[in-house]
Amino acid sequence: MTHAASPAGAEKRRQGINFRRYLTSPQSFLVLIILVLVGVIGAAKPNAFNGAFVVAPLLTSIAIFTIVGLAQMMVLSIGQMNIAVGNMAAFGAMFTGMAFDLWDMPFLVGLLVGLVAGSIIGGLTGWIIARTGVNSFIVTLAMSFALLGLVPTVYSMLSPGSAFTSKPDGMEFLGRGTFLDVCMVGYCGPAAIPVMVVPVLIVVLFVGGLYARTKLGREILLTGANIKAAELSAIPTNKRVVLVHAISGALAAFAGILLATSTGSFTPAIGNEFMLQSFLGPILGGTLLAGGYISVTGTFLGITLALLIRRGLELFGAGVEMLNIFLGLILLVALSAERIRTVRRRRPVEVPAETPPDTPSEKEAIPSGASA
Amino acid sequence: MKFKLPATMGSQYLVLIATIVLGAILLGVSSGGNFFGPVSMQTFFQFLAVPILIGLAQMITLAVGQLNLAIGAIGGVAACLAAVMVADWGFNPWLGGLVALVVGAVAGIANGILVVVTKINGFIVTLATMTVLLGVQYALVNTRTISADNWKSVAALGKASWFGLPAIFVIAIIVAVMVGLAFKFTTTGRHLLASGDNEHAATLAGISNDRSLTIAHGASGLIAGFAGFISFTSLPGVNQSVGGDWLLSSFAAPIIGGVSLTGGTVAVFGTVLAAFVVRLVDSARAEFQLAPAWVNLVIGAVILGTVALGRLRETRETAKAGMLRARVANHRINAAAVENTAAEEVKL
Repeated sequence: MTHAASPAGAEKRRQGINFRRYLTSPQSFLVLIILVLVGVIGAAKPNAFNGAFVVAPLLTSIAIFTIVGLAQMMVLSIGQMNIAVGNMAAFGAMFTGMAFDLWDMPFLVGLLVGLVAGSIIGGLTGWIIARTGVNSFIVTLAMSFALLGLVPTVYSMLSPGSAFTSKPDGMEFLGRGTFLDVCMVGYCGPAAIPVMVVPVLIVVLFVGGLYARTKLGREILLTGANIKAAELSAIPTNKRVVLVHAISGALAAFAGILLATSTGSFTPAIGNEFMLQSFLGPILGGTLLAGGYISVTGTFLGITLALLIRRGLELFGAGVEMLNIFLGLILLVALSAERIRTVRRRRPVEVPAETPPDTPSEKEAIPSGASA
Repeated sequence: MKFKLPATMGSQYLVLIATIVLGAILLGVSSGGNFFGPVSMQTFFQFLAVPILIGLAQMITLAVGQLNLAIGAIGGVAACLAAVMVADWGFNPWLGGLVALVVGAVAGIANGILVVVTKINGFIVTLATMTVLLGVQYALVNTRTISADNWKSVAALGKASWFGLPAIFVIAIIVAVMVGLAFKFTTTGRHLLASGDNEHAATLAGISNDRSLTIAHGASGLIAGFAGFISFTSLPGVNQSVGGDWLLSSFAAPIIGGVSLTGGTVAVFGTVLAAFVVRLVDSARAEFQLAPAWVNLVIGAVILGTVALGRLRETRETAKAGMLRARVANHRINAAAVENTAAEEVKL
């Protein structure tokens, strides 16, 4: 019984190395399942791990969806959710596409334009939530409605075939290049690792560092764990909510742009598949829906597991319907596991009921029995 | 229990009714009166049945403070299973329709039981069951469209008209009235609202929250299944896209209609009116030949506006209530002071 994973950063309190804690954590469990799956797939289909044709695309999608997962994880860390994550990705990617196609901007500038657009729409969402105190689910749902309408409309007005297809220098390299293209002193890297992994790794480290090393990250987690306590500790919670939504929007936009570079064109369909995956990754990885606890590694592993299952099912020729059924069932099983974990963690400290009945509870993520 | 003041309730309905009347007149004028023609009116009401039903299905889960993301998937599976049973396995079409209802109820109860037993957030549970059901729906029909010619007797209901209105619209209204009566007059309905408003208080009053959650999800699933059945009767064919676009509009109707997300309130009339508004936006889109995307944009903006306004009104009301309470308290203190001095004067 450790309090290691209790909210608001108690895990940084080093209470000596506890190996059992590492072994029983959801992350190591995920690693185990991933290894078993890789073993099973490798044994059943020996040529499944052909570097350039299987591993590289798999790693590319893991890289993209890890960012999607982080975008959702940021918002979950303050106990809210972002239903519009896919639409924000489409919105950000749309601006990058416009920057390339209409304004002839170089690659990096266009990328920046998209990220700024994503953070503005995310920030706006956060501002509405903080200002009105309306449930984040409704605000992001309405935002996803609005963007779902706006994005295809803009595309059909500004581009002939409902897609931006200009490719400035560097886009191909980031989206489709592998380390085979990166040659130094006569030695080229393996074809199995896409170039995209590098910027994604930087972003992952940035997010991880934010939560683990900075005061800002601590404040965000405390806001998620207990917004009243955070307010009493002189944390400007409204600003933190806006900031978190802005970063989430920027991350979603980044994922959308990466997806566009890997497919080669900017279309309104970007981000269609993001919503389910964005919840799957963080939740499988142990991030709490109620806020206050996150796991960056867990999010990465959760995404990896989900995509590995998808790839495995494809290799064994299962249809898209089996995939959906499997993913849904995995989510349910993983969450029941989360539930058991929460119950076990909470047992030693008898936590009083979540909010006194007479306080306004609109700021809770989603009203349900889960937080009881 | 949270009761809205009749006055504010009335004003909200008035706004919705005014919007509908104004929108209908504008549409009528811009279409040169065609909008009020019999054919156009018939289509308008025919495609209003499903939005009303899914709005009600969502409203019931919102009443207990839950969400149901699986409404579209439940309706889709119900319609597809009915179609496959009738077209491929040769069952009686009416039996297929009955199965659609049963599927909806079973799926809804499964949602409820999962929420109760695992204590997982209803959002995630229904997200997961939605994914599973979408897979099942795809497995049932694959990429084909099963034509309604296979169930002509049931499809006749979709085209029939009672009292000058499409039969399915009348049925949807009957369902709405039944839901409204159930929430108003049955013990179970009151229990659902009590659980949704304050689960601790409900427990203390001897109400089983677990039972409330299961019943709410079950009823929501049943109505979603019914919406699937209505699609089965009225659409020219059933394929995997049935139910695909229900998710957002199922939330739009109750939220615009004045149902709170935190539970404890229902607004059947408001939900039905809001479904009218959504349908009007859709008709306007068709009238002006805009891209379907515009509907989403407008509805998104309307939802945001509604929740922001509702929130504003709530804050104002609490402020007003606070002022009133302060005034009463002041008055009491003053009265006590006056009495004290009076008593002292008497002593002197």
